[in-house]
Amino acid sequence: MKAGEKRKEEEMIELEGPLGKSDAVNKENVSLERELSTLRKNGTIDSFCLYVYGLVLKEKGSENLARTVLVESVNSYPWNWSAWSELQSLCTTIETLNSLNLNNHWMKDFFLANTYQELRMHNESLSKYEYLQATFSFSNYIQAQIAKAQYNLREFELVEVIFEELLRNDPYRIEDMDMYSNVLYAKECFSALSYLAHRVFLTDKYRPESCCIIGNYYSLKGQHEKSVIYFRRALKLNKNYLSAWTLMGHEYVEMKNTSAAVDAYRRAVDINPCDYRAWYGLGQAYEMMGMPFYALHYFKKSVFLQPNDSRLWIAMAQCYEAEQLRMLEEAIKCYKRAANCNDREAIALHHLAKLHSELGHNEEAAFYYKKDLDRMEAEEREGPNMVEALMFLAQHCKSKKRFEEAEVYCTRLLDYTGPEKETAERLLRGIRHEKLDVEHFPP
Amino acid sequence: MAGILKPPGNFALTPHKVSICILVQVYAPPSEISVPFPFSSVSHHNCLGIFLLSLTKACDSIFEPSLDELIAQLREIGGLLNHWLSDHLTRRLSSLASPDDLFNFFNDLRGILGGSDANVVDDDQIVLDPSSAIGMFVRRCLLAFNVMSFEGVCHLLSNIGIYCKESLSDCPPFELSHLDDSSNDPELEYESMELENFVFEKVSQEFEARKLANERVSFHSHAPGALFELVEDTDFPPSSSVEHIDRPREVSPCAPSTSDTLRGTDPPGGTFLRTNWQVQGYLSEQADAIEKHGSSFPLYAFESILKRLQKSAPELHRVHFLRYLNSLYHDDYPGALENLHRYFDYSAGTEGVEFVPAPSGCSGLGRYEIALLNLGMMHFHLGHPKQSLEVLIEAVRVSQQHSDDTCLAYTLAAICNLLSAIGFSNMTGIIGASYWPVAGIGTSSSIQQQLFVLLRRSLKRAESLKLKRLVASIHLEIAKFDLTHVQRPLLSFGPKASTKLRTHPANICKELWTSYHLISDFTDETSIMTTDGAFCTSWLQNLKKPRGSLVFSQENGTRSDSDIFHFSAQPSSIPGSVLHLLGSSYLVRAAAWETYGSAPLARINALVFATCFSDSSSSADAALAYAKLIQYLAVFKGYKEAFAALKIAEEKFLCVSKSIILLVKLQLLHERALHRGHLKLAQQLCDELGVLASPVTGVDMELKTEASLRHAQTLLAANQYDQAAAVAHSLFCMCYKFNMQVQNATVLLLLAEIHKRSGNAVSGIPYALACLSFCQSFNLDLLKASATLTLAELWLSLGPSHAKKALSLIHGAFPILLGHGGLELRSRAFITEAKCYLAEPSFSVSEDPEMVLEPLRQASEELQVLEHHELASEAFYLMAIVYDKLGQLNEREEAAASFKKHITALENPEDKDNPLSNFL
Repeated sequence: MKAGEKRKEEEMIELEGPLGKSDAVNKENVSLERELSTLRKNGTIDSFCLYVYGLVLKEKGSENLARTVLVESVNSYPWNWSAWSELQSLCTTIETLNSLNLNNHWMKDFFLANTYQELRMHNESLSKYEYLQATFSFSNYIQAQIAKAQYNLREFELVEVIFEELLRNDPYRIEDMDMYSNVLYAKECFSALSYLAHRVFLTDKYRPESCCIIGNYYSLKGQHEKSVIYFRRALKLNKNYLSAWTLMGHEYVEMKNTSAAVDAYRRAVDINPCDYRAWYGLGQAYEMMGMPFYALHYFKKSVFLQPNDSRLWIAMAQCYEAEQLRMLEEAIKCYKRAANCNDREAIALHHLAKLHSELGHNEEAAFYYKKDLDRMEAEEREGPNMVEALMFLAQHCKSKKRFEEAEVYCTRLLDYTGPEKETAERLLRGIRHEKLDVEHFPP
Repeated sequence: MAGILKPPGNFALTPHKVSICILVQVYAPPSEISVPFPFSSVSHHNCLGIFLLSLTKACDSIFEPSLDELIAQLREIGGLLNHWLSDHLTRRLSSLASPDDLFNFFNDLRGILGGSDANVVDDDQIVLDPSSAIGMFVRRCLLAFNVMSFEGVCHLLSNIGIYCKESLSDCPPFELSHLDDSSNDPELEYESMELENFVFEKVSQEFEARKLANERVSFHSHAPGALFELVEDTDFPPSSSVEHIDRPREVSPCAPSTSDTLRGTDPPGGTFLRTNWQVQGYLSEQADAIEKHGSSFPLYAFESILKRLQKSAPELHRVHFLRYLNSLYHDDYPGALENLHRYFDYSAGTEGVEFVPAPSGCSGLGRYEIALLNLGMMHFHLGHPKQSLEVLIEAVRVSQQHSDDTCLAYTLAAICNLLSAIGFSNMTGIIGASYWPVAGIGTSSSIQQQLFVLLRRSLKRAESLKLKRLVASIHLEIAKFDLTHVQRPLLSFGPKASTKLRTHPANICKELWTSYHLISDFTDETSIMTTDGAFCTSWLQNLKKPRGSLVFSQENGTRSDSDIFHFSAQPSSIPGSVLHLLGSSYLVRAAAWETYGSAPLARINALVFATCFSDSSSSADAALAYAKLIQYLAVFKGYKEAFAALKIAEEKFLCVSKSIILLVKLQLLHERALHRGHLKLAQQLCDELGVLASPVTGVDMELKTEASLRHAQTLLAANQYDQAAAVAHSLFCMCYKFNMQVQNATVLLLLAEIHKRSGNAVSGIPYALACLSFCQSFNLDLLKASATLTLAELWLSLGPSHAKKALSLIHGAFPILLGHGGLELRSRAFITEAKCYLAEPSFSVSEDPEMVLEPLRQASEELQVLEHHELASEAFYLMAIVYDKLGQLNEREEAAASFKKHITALENPEDKDNPLSNFL
């Protein structure tokens, strides 16, 4: 097997044909398969040979049999992590995972936690890892995996804490540090990121993770050309390095090189079709090119994969809202979804209110303006949105003859300078007038 | 970042090329004799020369033949020598056992090339001119060998070993001991694989048999077995032809697999590299094939080939496009969508699409507007007109933004297509709501007017861009539009004198003629992507044809026509798309003649299409032409012949749901059921016709009209006049709503017929007159004649005093009725004529009996062919009465017996030979 794979690798380089890659195959696979299958039939096979047999079968493409063989292998010898990870790569749905007939063993918990993570069941994965941490309390691996799960749940603060501790325990760790750099990037911690980059550079600069961290640093610095160089290096070291493709796509978007960005994102998506960031990036790139309808396809994909992320819904809504499409009903639906899933910057509420008022749905608009106002008050934010909300509410209440409320909004508007103040004064006058009318001539 | 497109100069040495080199050595040995050793005559020698020439030309095709095939080909040309030649070939090949042998071989090869000063050559001496085709080939081989690394030489050597072994395992006579080592023992696991392989071969054979053209087969029939090994988990046989799955399984795996059609496969282990150009050529060939055959193209088999290809060539993005096409034509929406997006994400619309490269500026940006155009067409194809329009409008916007005029022209043409195909639905809402690219069209104007303006505008644009094929197809589109729409001046208000509501046949002919004319000088627009390899392969095939299939061509007229057409067209090699356009111009012509009512001309045009263009057009179009021909047979020759023809057509075209062939079958069965008086069956058939149409309003309008027209006819035949009139009335309303004026005329005629049958002639006359005026403005001559006939019948039923008027009406319509009408129409005319004579008071039967008897006899004969019991009984009844009057008792009895036969057949429809059980 080994010899065959070696030959295959060599041939892949030698025969590097005009199409970029050759169809070199491991010629030993056939004979290996024959031998191993007879061994398995006779029952004289050990768990490692089963593992090899599984590999051969997977290469051949007969996945069902490969799965059974690998399950046999791990059941007879559970400590072979390679077999577990091969098995994991063959479990692409929760149904197949549940159908596996595995013996109870603590290795199974590791396997399940890892597989849950791959299947984007982050909460389940997290609880499994936390359970395991109780037993293996000093394992860096488990700690890193917990950080990964938390990262996917977007708990950046927690992730940072975990990574700081991890680095204290193991200062030369490089694995998973790219994720830490992503967190630092998102939080815009220049110095911490540069410190991390320096550290991994000293440890091993030719690791894809190191290149990725350096790329992140340059990107944060706004030097996108340099960061592309480092992402490229990372990809040269590992062609299937998912996050580098996505991050490179982001860089190209920053550099306004949309077609290169599209290409990079697409590669990421083809490596792992569940990467919602890359789908989102694709959508963004097409939106930048003025093709909102085309972009919608990609946003739909990303939203499907990550339905609880308000940013994706907002991006999709903005596509619908774009002046070329003006599909406002659909945009409202998307904003509603966004508002329902923890929209941190409260963009969705504001847009919802605005769209409703544009479409003449005054009651709904008032409802959302009110909600937005409450939220701004709670977070003590000020700004043009506040003025807009107050203005609309004042006018709306006045037209509905709820003068008390209207007066409250108007008086609040008086605190602002500019044309709004005058309008508010005018409104107040009008309100008083009408109020008098109502008092004098009750209906 | 787009795919790495290497120049076509890539040339990899393969065992096949080595064998050609060996043959070249035989052809031109470095000796001094004019006719070298093994050859008996100069012509014999030349024969090999031509063969070698074709081989070298074809060596750029994707799949190289195996040694067996090569030997088989040699046998064809070699005559007595073949044994010697093939023997020599295998001996030489197997003697190449070490790298040094290869070095020596190529060294010797160099010797047969003449020097650069080739002008001082003896006449007798055979020297290969280095700049001749074969000489170039040899030089390329030498060069490829010289730049080869040692590893490469080793690979070549082992590949030659496999190449020989492959052939030896099949051909024991040439057994050579030292090469025959272990690997050939059949294994259990392998047997199943072989079987599957075999199944595919069988199916592809089946598939080939369905294709009339055999010059296109070359590529996929010897698809390498290696490509099919992987498909173990998937269900292999193609989806569409279920019946073929089982058959090959029954055949034992050792059935005659050496026949020529089951050509040998590439050695499974051998890794032959194809040049990029070869693969591209293969792919574009396959793309044509998919478009041509539609859903009958084997989905899974091709998909697995593409997957393999994609695995080994990740940078070749065209594969994604092929996968898109493949899923599109099998109505796999998610697959098509996914692959389309993937293709354009990777290639940015700059690879492989056969558009003229953009003039300037947009090279860096990518050309995503093409993606939009494709996406729009995909939605259109899969029946999402709303999305399609949305996408196409975006395409218009983006291509305007990038000033990509070519794409804009194509997009506008696509929108025209969309509007004319589905446009009669309620699309104004969509168009009104969204940003509409064509300025100056208010939302108030009807969709036809929009289409009209759009057509003219895109024609202008295409003309100014000199996109000749596009211009031609727009002309066709305009002709189609003119055919079914009354032209009125777009911006005319008030009672202007010039608003003549007419279609203009002359205009249509002019449009058709312009389009035809344009196609004839397509040459400067031939696409750049047409690859050398593809042409050379077909060239090679054609080279062999005169030898092999001259006899055959005499047997089969259809086939020979197209072959000769292709053969003589080889040097200029007309691109498929041009042929396609030409073909569709004939189809439009046939349609035009059909609406204008000249059956023979329509038939001739359909026939021209079926014989000359069915190879190059899509199978749907070909099926349409066949359907038309079958309809003519039914109308003019009776059902027996029509059903025989239908059987042939059914075998030819896979009968998928909603195919035109199925439609014709239902129509024929319905008509026959009506004529025979099987009313229940007729209703059933008519319902089946109705469910074929899509339930969405505004889509499949023609099918819907047809179904409800037939429904009304069935009700009429059952004497349920009220219901029939109600159905016809609602149909009229629908046609009016969707502006289908031509159909309106038919419905009016039907209404007149209903009133006539219900005995209410007075109220029927206005309908007939209205129909007449419709026909006049649309130039529907045949329909007009039949409306005249109905009018005459109506007059006649008002009483004998109107018989003269009716007679003169009929006589006026006779030329068209007899010249172009079908059997039913003709006999109806004859019967009515006879009735007129009989009714006329001044006419006496005894004086001139033949005036009445002759038409009746004619009518009865034709009606018997048609199996139209009702009319036939009427004819015989009249005949019997006339004979009775004349006192010819024997004849009277005979006619009466026939009358009785028909009337009983009509009253007791026998269900024994239920045609449904036979045909459905």
